[in-house]
Amino acid sequence: MFSAEILGAWLVVLLSLCIFSYLYNDNPFYKAAEHLFIGISAGYWASLFFWTQIQPNLFGRLWPSRIVTDDGSILKSIWYAIYEILNFITTGFGVLNRNVFPEGGIGEREMQLSYVIPFILGIFMLLRLVPKFGYLARWAIAYIVGMTAGLRFYSFLNSNVRMQIQASAIDFTADWVGIINALILFIGTLTGLIYFFFSKEHKGTIGTLSKIGIYFLMIKFGASFGFAVMGRISLLIGRMNDLKDYSTHEYYYATPIILIAMIICLAIWAFMDKGKTNKDSI
Amino acid sequence: MMKNIFIKLGSLDRRIIFFVIGLSVLIPLIKPEWVTLPVRPKIHSQIVFDELDKLKAGNKLLLSFEYGPSTKPEIHPMAIALLKHMFAKDIKVYATALWADGNFMSTDAFAEVSEEFGKEYGIDYVNLGFKPGGEPVVRGIASDIRTLYDADLKGTSIDDIPMMDGIVNIDNFDFVFSLSAGFPGSTEWVQYACDPKNIPMSTGCTSIQVTDIIPYVENEQILGILAGMPGAAEYESLVDNKLREMGKISKPGKATGMMAAQSIAHVMIVLFIIFGNISYYVTRKKSREG
Repeated sequence: MFSAEILGAWLVVLLSLCIFSYLYNDNPFYKAAEHLFIGISAGYWASLFFWTQIQPNLFGRLWPSRIVTDDGSILKSIWYAIYEILNFITTGFGVLNRNVFPEGGIGEREMQLSYVIPFILGIFMLLRLVPKFGYLARWAIAYIVGMTAGLRFYSFLNSNVRMQIQASAIDFTADWVGIINALILFIGTLTGLIYFFFSKEHKGTIGTLSKIGIYFLMIKFGASFGFAVMGRISLLIGRMNDLKDYSTHEYYYATPIILIAMIICLAIWAFMDKGKTNKDSI
Repeated sequence: MMKNIFIKLGSLDRRIIFFVIGLSVLIPLIKPEWVTLPVRPKIHSQIVFDELDKLKAGNKLLLSFEYGPSTKPEIHPMAIALLKHMFAKDIKVYATALWADGNFMSTDAFAEVSEEFGKEYGIDYVNLGFKPGGEPVVRGIASDIRTLYDADLKGTSIDDIPMMDGIVNIDNFDFVFSLSAGFPGSTEWVQYACDPKNIPMSTGCTSIQVTDIIPYVENEQILGILAGMPGAAEYESLVDNKLREMGKISKPGKATGMMAAQSIAHVMIVLFIIFGNISYYVTRKKSREG
């Protein structure tokens, strides 16, 4: 019988072959799979971010369960009135069930009102969609850029600058193979950096050194290209392996059936398209 | 005569090249007995194995899943082999994910291996799941894991999970292993957690990332690297040998079986590059001669 697993296998085969069909030419199968992929990805990510981050970490800190925070103050009652207004809006003015803002608050964390700042900045970010207030999004972006720069500065300086400079030093106490390796690394680092030094014209000694730097960079790009090819082939093997696995009786010959059906459809589509093109050209 | 063949090869329809590459991958997968190639572990895979093998029963490994279905063929075999290795040595595994898809990958990997080795959830391994944010998440795990994680992937409060007792931050782990397919991934673990806190770490990553990560490996900021599918196959063979030594029988890994297809596809690509270059030079020479 057709189970969820078999249905899944048929979908895997169909979508894989739809994407592979682009190797022949751009066609409706490829377009459908591409649009489906982008749409589902966007929906999945939006939902996941909301339910794992915004709802528990933002709203959960601003409006935790009243059992944890309630001290009977009027200010708190006003604060939770905002919560109820937000709930009223998100439930389609009371039509839908309350999911985002459950009764009495979210989770059992301590209330942290400082989270109002990211909440406001998040709203500013969305205001980009309103041309009149679009400039407010810059504040949020400025915060993100500044915060990221600060966060990354020390880590980058430590792991990528200090420790890498340390690593490029030549250890003359090592064996001769180690010294030669370290020497090549040192020359490569130095000449590679010189190639990217644009304050002086690349002529004479600087020109020669930057040319050596180009060779080192080319070796790096060659290695990266080689690894990229290897990676892509690995992914192709993964897909092919799945297609092979799903071509058995256990999965009702999903691969051959879909492949043949797709070839027939593509042939008809190509034939009709050709006829249309000829008509257009006349 | 030869010149004409090369000129014709130069103008070969790209679809024929795709078809040949497809066949070179498919045939070894359908008929694995036709091509059997030995897998010899390289130095970086050996280092990964040796470092993990140094861990003792009861030690804690933080395993981060930073990949998804798109890179599953390269990295998932590493995850399976790694869990077999760790479970065989009775090492406690704590899983996190910096990628949302990592949740599916970790769940799948644990389901495949835990039963085989008789491991119990919450006592031998725990899956904390995905948290969005990238670098701040790594930083959070490095400083205070409990500000990030209230509950595990199943929704169980981490206070109710026995193996979470005494786990405050990354200092409580003996080793970090990042299964990485891009950003955020191994680089972030080096920069925000393992370098500042001096915790040994290793990585298994996609081929495309290798040249970016190798400077950290050469400087021993990362201890060894499993580089793409070949790295996975090499590690699988090392783990298989170890399990055999320990008298444990396990299913063979997937990466080893795929290596023949990989090697043949590489040979085909190299041949196409050689023929393409010869064709280019012959065509250019002919056009210069007029």
